[in-house]
Amino acid sequence: MFYRKQKAALARFHPLHQALVHEHRLSVTLPRDAWEPLIQSCAQHRAHIRRRKWALPDEVPLVLVPLVRVLSRDLRRTGTIGVTADLTGPEAAGKAGPQQSLQVRRPIRRVLQWYAFDPWLAVRAELRDGSTLDIAVVDRVRFRKITKTNPRGKIKTKTKSKTLRVITVTRRLPKGAVLTRPASPPPPWIRVRIKDGPRPVIRLRARIPNAPRSSGLPNHILHLSAEAFRWTAPQARRAS
Amino acid sequence: MDGAAGEEGVVNPCTVTTGFFLLRGCGRPAVAGCARCGRGLCQGHAAQNGGICPECSAPATEDFYHPYWTDGYRRRYYTESASAYNDPYWYSTFDTYDRGAFDQGGDWASGGGDFDGDFDGSDFVDS
Repeated sequence: MFYRKQKAALARFHPLHQALVHEHRLSVTLPRDAWEPLIQSCAQHRAHIRRRKWALPDEVPLVLVPLVRVLSRDLRRTGTIGVTADLTGPEAAGKAGPQQSLQVRRPIRRVLQWYAFDPWLAVRAELRDGSTLDIAVVDRVRFRKITKTNPRGKIKTKTKSKTLRVITVTRRLPKGAVLTRPASPPPPWIRVRIKDGPRPVIRLRARIPNAPRSSGLPNHILHLSAEAFRWTAPQARRAS
Repeated sequence: MDGAAGEEGVVNPCTVTTGFFLLRGCGRPAVAGCARCGRGLCQGHAAQNGGICPECSAPATEDFYHPYWTDGYRRRYYTESASAYNDPYWYSTFDTYDRGAFDQGGDWASGGGDFDGDFDGSDFVDS
């Protein structure tokens, strides 16, 4: 029987950890303290599992865990964090749009182009000040499959892809919250939309071209989220 | 630690800053002093790292699985984002105690002029 020890280790992991390994998907809402057992289970993964087929997706340690750790610091004990993650990648079935053929000239014989729409991460947290924070990450990937003939008549095919990542952060404030315009505008890569009223909403959007799959993404998300919190006044202790 | 208690009415409150975006003091009654910096710590924060406050014991690690990774990351995040936004006011949401630990002698540590609050208007902004 192959991989007996690893299979046994995998069976001891947290059920949601197992779902991430086998399905590369996660959709769950848990209270603040219930995330720690899952994170600690994921922390044990590399020590016990070496089979590539059962590897944990890179996005788990590099994106999910830091985000949950950061958001859980601003939750009440009963506050919840909801995560919907689809880490199957943009090439998974059902994500590709219709293909179209582009105009070509020799030595290229054919170029097929299609876009994949991959909304792979959505996070919702109920913060302790009564506001809710929603984070959504969507990858729009352009694929081009190029077929060309070399001088000796061989036909070769290659596929190229280009990713545009769109990060959206929405903070819905509690009733009666007051917005104050920050002293300085946000960086140019951040688009801010404010809906003022009894329940103000701050919506932020950033487009990141040529984004790597996971490294640096928590920094992008958290720097984007900072703008949502700059619009609310610091608490009383800060001004003392 | 939740930091649910307020500072009002507590003679000697725990001075640990809790939260990440929504910063505030723990505010529970202090029962001990940090073994390194001497600041007051409540029972929970004193027990958390063996008598050392979270700021002094903050791990300088990139291991996201470490339970106290955010304690070390939070300072780095605030200095980086204040620089990215060109907004010293954002950085100043740390109190003078927190900032003074890594910016001693600077203007930021003086505590004055950080909270002018001279904002005008609350209209829609579109950058």
